[in-house]
Amino acid sequence: MKMIVCLSLSLVALLAVGCKDGTGVAEGPSHNRYDLDSGKTQYEAETEPAGAMPVGEAREKTEDGQDVTLVGLIGGSSEPFVKGLAAFTIVDPKVPYCADEEGCPTPWDYCCETDAVKQNIATVKIVDDSGKPVTQDAREFLNVKELSKVVVKGKARRDDQGNLTVAASKIFLKKD
Amino acid sequence: MLLPWEYGVRNLARRPMRTALTLVALATVVMLVFVVVGFIRGLEQSLTVSGDEDVVLVYSVNSEENIENSSIAARTPSLLTASLDGAVKRFGITNVSPELYLGTRVKTDEGDGGLGLVRGVTLSTPLVRRRVKLTEGDWPGDGEVIVGRLAAAKLGSSDDAMAIGQSVEFEGRRWQISGRFAAGGAAYESEIWCKLGDFQTATKRQDLSLVAMLLSPQSSAAEVELFCKERTDLELRAIRETDYYASLQQHYKPVRLLAWFVVVLVSGAGIFAGLNMMYGAVAGRIREIATLQAVGYRRRAILISLVQEGVLLAAAGSLLSGVIALTMLNGMAVRFTMGAFTIRIDSVAILIGCGVGLLLGVLGALPPALKALRAEVATSLKAV
Repeated sequence: MKMIVCLSLSLVALLAVGCKDGTGVAEGPSHNRYDLDSGKTQYEAETEPAGAMPVGEAREKTEDGQDVTLVGLIGGSSEPFVKGLAAFTIVDPKVPYCADEEGCPTPWDYCCETDAVKQNIATVKIVDDSGKPVTQDAREFLNVKELSKVVVKGKARRDDQGNLTVAASKIFLKKD
Repeated sequence: MLLPWEYGVRNLARRPMRTALTLVALATVVMLVFVVVGFIRGLEQSLTVSGDEDVVLVYSVNSEENIENSSIAARTPSLLTASLDGAVKRFGITNVSPELYLGTRVKTDEGDGGLGLVRGVTLSTPLVRRRVKLTEGDWPGDGEVIVGRLAAAKLGSSDDAMAIGQSVEFEGRRWQISGRFAAGGAAYESEIWCKLGDFQTATKRQDLSLVAMLLSPQSSAAEVELFCKERTDLELRAIRETDYYASLQQHYKPVRLLAWFVVVLVSGAGIFAGLNMMYGAVAGRIREIATLQAVGYRRRAILISLVQEGVLLAAAGSLLSGVIALTMLNGMAVRFTMGAFTIRIDSVAILIGCGVGLLLGVLGALPPALKALRAEVATSLKAV
């Protein structure tokens, strides 16, 4: 009898494990603790972080590993968001994009300012406590979209080619 | 009381010439529907099976959706493998395929030819392009090519001109065909493959068009995409291969919509042809219909009998077309901008073709039958 109970329990445990979704990859929602009062995730700042510098300036002044606060507009290509990861590119607000009346279907690709974009673009990846990118699309949990103006706070990573990536721990969506 | 089933069947045999002509007209309409639906299904199938869930394509961000326009640095594959550990690695070989891909004028020995799709490949390509199977001959050596199952169709040439041992000419060089390959209906089947180094020499190019990576189950395309976003200086973009072909499906959406519109137009024209035929058939039988009413058959029973005749004829026409479509049309190669694909008469095509056929029978028979039944019996009996 004991044997049967043990076997049944093992089977139930196996089934429970087997039914669990996922392949061991850290899923986004598990990392996104929501504040019930504000309705925001742990990555969204309550107030705008101070001392934000535009992307172009940051590309000139920021060193590798330095803490940095950047302001920019989500864009730089026709698809600025990375599907399945909380990562996207931002462009310096000084770079103009197509006005509404021009009828451009994707003004966030800055198609008329491609040369200016090269010196005024940065990649932002929202990282969890362990420094890994959150595995959830930023549009799904940060309420951002193309041409949203954001302020991000995190650690800068520079390479020899001058590329700037920010491993951001906080993001603030500017309403203006 | 309904008219006997045999009455309708025998009626068809009473006027063999008219019945045969109606049958041919209906079969032609249904055949046209089969051709258009088979075309749409073939195109959809070709794009659906072309992508591999585990393969991610890396190409130039400036080429938009067209890989033929892409140009990326030759060092990109080594950069990707050094920076990312997501690609499958077996027996010391990383499953990453650098490729040069372009559309160029190809001429066969027979003198015909057209715009062909040529891909410069390496030995790692079949590891990534897992659907590709060498069906005849050998992997290409120097100055040799292997041709896809539909390459001849793409060039508007004959299969004999693309046989092993024959040669083709492109980029100012002659290339001997060393083998033939199939890819389960995928888009590569309309391509010509040669050695990457040879193709770069012939085209005087040192760059690549794309890098295809086979990802291990633990990694995701998002990681490659993130790498491309971070290395903005390389101007790369990454996309899962299935997503790439899904975007092509969107690209060809107007073509598919137009094709469905043609189906509706052909069906509409078919219904009018059926109406014309049935009006003629019923007009010559006004006295017979009135006699049936006088004998005591209800209008509904006569109507059902006339519809039965129309449906029988339409069903026969659909069957005839279905057999012809399955035996002669199915698998026929069609040349298209993106390459070539085969017309596909599958269950959906059969269902739509036969459905339209039966609809022609019902809709074609109803109005003339109703018109004949509306007339006064006494007047109709005197009709000439």
